Amino acid sequence: MRLRTFSYFFREAFISFARNRWMSLASIGAVASALIIFGSFLLISVNFDHILKDVESQVEITAYLKDSVDTGSIARLNTEISSISGVKQIKFVSKEAALEEFKQQVGKELLEGIDNPLPNSFRIKVEKPQDVARVAGEIQKLQGIEEVKYGKGVVEKLFKIIYWIRILGVAIMAVFAAVSIFIISNTIRLTVFARRREINIMKYIGATDWFVRWPFLLEGMMLGFIGSAIAIGILAGGYSYLYNIVKLNVPMISLIPINEFYEYALGFLAIGMFIGAFGSSFSIRRFLHV
Amino acid sequence: MIETYGVTKIYPGGLVALRDINIKISRGEFVFIVGPSGAGKSTFIKLLFREELPTRGQIFFNGKNITRMKNREVPLLRRRIGIVFQDFRLLPEKSAYENVAFAMEVTEASSREIKKRVPYVLEKVGLAHKASAKPSELSGGEQQRVALARALVNNPDVLVADEPTGNLDPDTSWEIMKLLNDINKRGTTVVVATHARELVDGMRKRVLQLDKGVLVRDEERGVYRNEA
Ligand SMILES: Nc1ncnc2c1ncn2[C@@H]1O[C@H](COP(=O)(O)OP(=O)(O)OP(=O)(O)O)[C@@H](O)[C@H]1O
Ligand SMILES: [Mg+2]
Repeated sequence: MRLRTFSYFFREAFISFARNRWMSLASIGAVASALIIFGSFLLISVNFDHILKDVESQVEITAYLKDSVDTGSIARLNTEISSISGVKQIKFVSKEAALEEFKQQVGKELLEGIDNPLPNSFRIKVEKPQDVARVAGEIQKLQGIEEVKYGKGVVEKLFKIIYWIRILGVAIMAVFAAVSIFIISNTIRLTVFARRREINIMKYIGATDWFVRWPFLLEGMMLGFIGSAIAIGILAGGYSYLYNIVKLNVPMISLIPINEFYEYALGFLAIGMFIGAFGSSFSIRRFLHV
Repeated sequence: MIETYGVTKIYPGGLVALRDINIKISRGEFVFIVGPSGAGKSTFIKLLFREELPTRGQIFFNGKNITRMKNREVPLLRRRIGIVFQDFRLLPEKSAYENVAFAMEVTEASSREIKKRVPYVLEKVGLAHKASAKPSELSGGEQQRVALARALVNNPDVLVADEPTGNLDPDTSWEIMKLLNDINKRGTTVVVATHARELVDGMRKRVLQLDKGVLVRDEERGVYRNEA
């Protein structure tokens, strides 16, 4: 494509944009809202994830051994547990060590002269928090294991919450994206209508369908692009503001700093332009007959 | 260069606009298509540049069957055909020069070609001095000259005009007709659908007469109507 042709397309897109000012602004607003909502949910879920990682790194599995297990079997269990996939770290805690720990916690004097009631145990850390339940289950099945314990329930619940936040974010974004596509396709329809004479003439003088289509596609993509740029600006501003408030007032919660989200910005622009292109191709197909 | 074989056009609704039309138009000819209102003149013109497809029959242009042509080849066909309408169909925002240049921009011609070619055709239609005028600043005859320049700018094989003088007074009509004749003399085939009896009688070109969609006369050096 020639540069002049290309600049012609852009000029035409800008002219329509100026002509349909109000509809164009509505389109931009729609795309911006869709992406702001989606972006907010994204920020929430990513941060939740992050906070959860913190919590999870503290979640470990404790596997208590039967009293009958001898030293040889302990070594065997150690290798067996280590070979379960997802296990990151395993540490053996003998009866005696456990008692020592316990004494430290409750006070030596209280336990003086009592038979050690505590069993031998392993403390296991997993690589991925999602694996905790599975790994615990597999350990339970091994010979010589009395009982397996971990922060049951909490981890699963938090994961469910993140899962639903994501689903909700995507669902709301889908609804808003559909609304944006609808509004953009209406805007482009106005443009097509305003220029139907011109389009007709273009076809008589031998313009290809793509030559006719491009200005409309570009106009739609431009609307989407501007909408997503606005969304990025608002999200970045709002998030930095919240980030600083949280950091000052609730220092134990660690949020992800804003610059880690910059890579998403390109994705947002792409989504915005895609919505725009999709909306206008809708109208092009229905009203342009090319 | 244009051949039709058994061309019949029935519009949705069942109206038969053309019935079994067999015509050959050779390169360099000047042809009038005449007939009363509703005879099918415009329909015939539309079939030539594939605005409409025939219901039955075949149309060949430069040996190529345009009824079988793929949609995406149609723009290329139309670049070989200059089209002129009764209502000029100029873009009101663009100057005479820009209107003509636009037809070349659409074909992605280079700026250099456009700068050379557009003044040349504007000169040919006698409108070089009004190149920067908008259509609203031009008379009907001048607007039709711009439309002619636009139709000619891509050097088409054939110029097709549907009542090109329908909106013009008799003197201006004559000027446009002479211009068409000049264009034809320089080798472009010209096909004109018209109601203008005096023009047809004055030019004495080949006349195809349609009546209710049927070709009732095909006469060399003919007149508008043979009063029997
Ligand atoms: N798109 C269409 N759909 C249905 N009928 C049509 C259509 N276009 C034309 N017709 C009908 O086909 C017949 C031929 O029309 P056409 O326009 O070819 O006539 P014409 O000879 O050009 O007439 P005029 O001299 O008034 O321009 C007419 O009866 C017209 O009503
Ligand atoms: Mg007609």
